[in-house]
Amino acid sequence: MHNSLNRLQSVFGFFTTVAFTLGCLIALTDLWAERTPSGVIKATNTQVVKGRPHYYSSKKEEYAIIKFSLDADLSSLFTWNTKQLFVYVTAEWPAPEAGMNATNEAVIWDSIITNPSADHLVNLGPIGKKKLKASAGGKSIAPERGLLKLKNQKPKYQISHPSGKIASAEDVTLKVHYNVQPWFGLLTWNTQSDIGRWKSFAGGVSDQFSLPAVKVKDDKKKP
Amino acid sequence: MAANKVSLANLADLKNASDDAIANYLNSLSFKQSHTMTDVRLAIGYGAFVIAAAAGGWDYYFGFENTKLYTAIAVAVYTLLQGALAFWISFVEHGTVYQGQAPNGGQKITIASFNAKKHEPLYKLKVTTQPASGGKPETIELERSFTEWFDESGLFVAAPFQRFLASSIPVVGRADPKRVKSESRDLLEGDSDLLDAVMSAEAETTGADKKSGGKKRKV
Amino acid sequence: MLSALGNPRQAAAQVLNFALVLSTAFMMWKGLSVVADSPSPIVVVLSGSMEPAFQRGDLLFLWNRNLLQETAVGEVVVYNVKDKDIPIVHRVVRKYGTGDEAKLLTKGDNNQADDTELYARGQDFLVRKDIIGSVVAYMPFVGYVTIMLSEHPWLKTVMLGIMGLFAILQRE
Repeated sequence: MHNSLNRLQSVFGFFTTVAFTLGCLIALTDLWAERTPSGVIKATNTQVVKGRPHYYSSKKEEYAIIKFSLDADLSSLFTWNTKQLFVYVTAEWPAPEAGMNATNEAVIWDSIITNPSADHLVNLGPIGKKKLKASAGGKSIAPERGLLKLKNQKPKYQISHPSGKIASAEDVTLKVHYNVQPWFGLLTWNTQSDIGRWKSFAGGVSDQFSLPAVKVKDDKKKP
Repeated sequence: MAANKVSLANLADLKNASDDAIANYLNSLSFKQSHTMTDVRLAIGYGAFVIAAAAGGWDYYFGFENTKLYTAIAVAVYTLLQGALAFWISFVEHGTVYQGQAPNGGQKITIASFNAKKHEPLYKLKVTTQPASGGKPETIELERSFTEWFDESGLFVAAPFQRFLASSIPVVGRADPKRVKSESRDLLEGDSDLLDAVMSAEAETTGADKKSGGKKRKV
Repeated sequence: MLSALGNPRQAAAQVLNFALVLSTAFMMWKGLSVVADSPSPIVVVLSGSMEPAFQRGDLLFLWNRNLLQETAVGEVVVYNVKDKDIPIVHRVVRKYGTGDEAKLLTKGDNNQADDTELYARGQDFLVRKDIIGSVVAYMPFVGYVTIMLSEHPWLKTVMLGIMGLFAILQRE
């Protein structure tokens, strides 16, 4: 503690220690916040079409288009340490060719839901961003954004299989997942069982269904 | 070392400069310094460093996956050596800055130094002496202000420091009788050898040394 | 205190202090590597493809062991592509099959298309061993200094110089 550089070093060292400790404490408050995610999902319309994986491909593959309805309450996942919620819906079906209990899993729809504290980071045009910010009404935490009501939603991703075959797949289920992205600390996903104040997802899995056979369709249209 | 200026606000520097002066002074009196403690510390430290360097080397040349078992072992050994080093420094060395033997096979002496208080310029010494033939070690503790041997500009002044050591530690006093301050003679009365040595030294010198140490700084 | 160099033991001790600071930092990193089973357990985000979750300069902590369950769809993983140096942080969006040979497809949250284009020529999917870890924890901004350093290499020299000088000039 005898020259300015030395003092600067100590001050900086102390600052980082305090900031890190504070961050860890904030991250710990996550454990204290109750999480009670719930939701109902069902497939409303399914079809399988043939198409090319990309424009120059000569190979044709089967693509499944699964429309679904989702009614979910993820509002409890929004706390002061929530930066964004990544919600995604997967289709899961068995993969007997890869082993007894093997499965295939693919995301058919996802959505980034920011907490208002992270609205400025969203990849939107200036108008969209302004709207998003305005929707928060000045609040920095917006649990209401965790209420999802989707009716007969078109999937964002048409899914396929490396073999090129997906038509008539059986025992398909849809499942809702979330991933909480914190401002500081651990990333968290659906819990398999209740962990402390974090309840496992209530519902969130659809009934099993089968995909239809390939719909004969004009294959000039890109999938 | 002693010619360097140190920052008077830096207690660690004051202590280091004084520590160095102890070794210089005692060695100049033909004390035989023993470096065993430092050597063990250096061996443990450099051993640990070599292990870390080796781990870095094989990781670089053969990749993480191929060498992770060895890396795990290296990390464990490194941790143990660091533990050993910490143990050595805090429990074995415990502040020791000088170890040696008085001239002509005299007593063994071990000096440990500390900053006595966090924000006060107090130099604390723990001196342990033991007859060369073995026998019961004796320990004395001394505490002085750095201001006695550093001037206002942070320059180390050897004479008062050496007088302090010679007057307070009998084995040093015997080796350098003319530095022993007369006021401390009471302390030495039980030690007739030392007393004689001091008497004869004072008869030889004219006391010129006493005047040269006048650059004291009062706080 | 440079005159300390006249005393070889003291010089050796001072060099050792500096060496141990470096080697301890290195061994802590390696220890973390071994525990997380990942060659690079902490990574800095270099691209905006996972925005708004991760910005450039954010620090991610990786875990590369499948203790409870396999690497699954929805996890954010860091993977290496053959012949490309830069690891990529993206989310697993498809998984065909189970086990080490399961085919994985990844996509950046902020990207329109999946990563097929980013993979090596002729590679359509990742397998487990391409992945060097899944993101488990997040710290914002702290890694930005490394981006600064790689974009302005002279800063590296300056910082190393200052560190070295400090270590040599100070004993405690």
